[in-house]
Amino acid sequence: MIELRNITKKFFQKTRAITALSEVSLTVPEGKIFGVIGSSGAGKSTLIRCVNLLEKPTSGEVIVDGQNLMDLSPKELAKARRHIGMIFQHFNLLSSRTVFENVAFSLELDYTPKAEIEKRVTELLALVGLEGKQHDYPVSLSGGQKQRVAIARTLASNPKVLLCDEATSALDPATTKSILALLKDINKRLNITILLITHEMEVVKDICDEVAVISEGQLIEQGAVSEIFSHPKTALAKAFIASALSLDIPSDYQERLVAEPMAGKRPLLKLEFTGQSVDDPVLSEVARHFQIDSNVISARMDYAGGVKFGVMLIEVFGTQENSLQAIEFYKSKNIKVEVIGYV
Amino acid sequence: MSDSMILLLAKGAWETIVMTFVSGFFGFLIGLPTGVLLFMTRKGQVLEHKTFNHTISIIVNIFRSIPFIILIVWMIPFTRALVGTSIGVEAAIVPLSIGAAPFIARLIENSLIEVPGGLIEAARAMGATPFQIVYKVLLPEALPSIINSASVTLITLVGYSAMGGAVGAGGLGQIGYQYGYVGYDVFVMNTVLILLIALVFIIQFLGDFIAKRVDHR
Repeated sequence: MIELRNITKKFFQKTRAITALSEVSLTVPEGKIFGVIGSSGAGKSTLIRCVNLLEKPTSGEVIVDGQNLMDLSPKELAKARRHIGMIFQHFNLLSSRTVFENVAFSLELDYTPKAEIEKRVTELLALVGLEGKQHDYPVSLSGGQKQRVAIARTLASNPKVLLCDEATSALDPATTKSILALLKDINKRLNITILLITHEMEVVKDICDEVAVISEGQLIEQGAVSEIFSHPKTALAKAFIASALSLDIPSDYQERLVAEPMAGKRPLLKLEFTGQSVDDPVLSEVARHFQIDSNVISARMDYAGGVKFGVMLIEVFGTQENSLQAIEFYKSKNIKVEVIGYV
Repeated sequence: MSDSMILLLAKGAWETIVMTFVSGFFGFLIGLPTGVLLFMTRKGQVLEHKTFNHTISIIVNIFRSIPFIILIVWMIPFTRALVGTSIGVEAAIVPLSIGAAPFIARLIENSLIEVPGGLIEAARAMGATPFQIVYKVLLPEALPSIINSASVTLITLVGYSAMGGAVGAGGLGQIGYQYGYVGYDVFVMNTVLILLIALVFIIQFLGDFIAKRVDHR
């Protein structure tokens, strides 16, 4: 549905050229949610702006819904953009218009008859859960409500594609969840292909099917979310995953921790579950087979793209021999085991 | 105060109001599109065009640097060609409009610069044409600020029209000049001043009131 081929974008400043994107290629299949993750300044904003040519790439091809946008005249491009929705980090609602009038905006651009606008806007406000707010001005809305208005506004022209430019970055975690749920719902219900950029792995994990990691204007890694989460190849991808799954040893355990086994101390294990790990009830199996009791100290498990992954810190109660067998057992299930020490 | 004097002052006040608002109207008629063009052709804007922008900018600056009292005299041949005379209210409206237009153009340009760039970007992303961006996004969003510009312009025009009075434009300025400067009638001069001050206060008050009503930011 969206295809970028060898996109290069250079910005020219007086005497020097800055390369914001170099040879970026990606394909978003119809009906999928594709995430591009990167730190600020990596070029992700430029990338998403290239899809609807808000930024014109220096070279490369942009194909949306089978149409090469680079070949279009300004007039044809304006028309093509009506089918490419976009929402923004700072919502970009018109402060001079009410919620109703904001949603009606894109319909007015097409000279839609008044009665039809009325009907469509009412429908859309119901879809995003903002009935009864149509006469309010944006200034009186919360961030989440503003983004809902922006989503309704961009859906008004029946886009096939939705571009999300850090759409949840200005929202608190709970509101982020609700907006992501709405996007997922739109994707499923209206079969709209979504390309989003973000710096939060949480967003990718929550709704994306595929993800690409961008760094210094290049896509350094891309694939299915489950694949990237289970087999991150680059350090950057690992860092983003770690940010979504960090686990620290509590300070009182840290104080009691020793490196070598000692009488009266129990091993402290870190178990890492990846996409390759066998999805079995391993803790209870270990308890049954090896008479080992496990005390979960902290854990962060998650489920994304059809795989379970995460980290868990456990304290093991049992004989030394059984503990070693348990560790081997975990390893046989493709669970990464690290003996942090003894507490 | 004699009846004839009251009549004279009333006529003068009316002429000043007519000169201010009519030339304000024509000033906006020229200044508003010019200001919009100045903004739209700026670097990084939708219709970016360096040469065009610089050319208009230079013309605007030239007209802004001509002192108004000289502009009136300098424009006499043009005024005569346009309205058939170079004295009176009608004749004054021509240089007043031309004098106000570049001033208005700059004020409009500045008002449009204040509109957040994200709104223009959103409109472009939705497939708005440059014209739609102007009348559906830029002008409505900048409206409170444009109304403030209008008050500033009208108040400036009250002053300009009084200046025009010295060279036969009519209005309160001419009365103040003749009775004050020439005849030194303190009473008439002060009455003229009070009327001018009242006019300025009314314009400012109305401007603030309307600007507040349309501001939803």
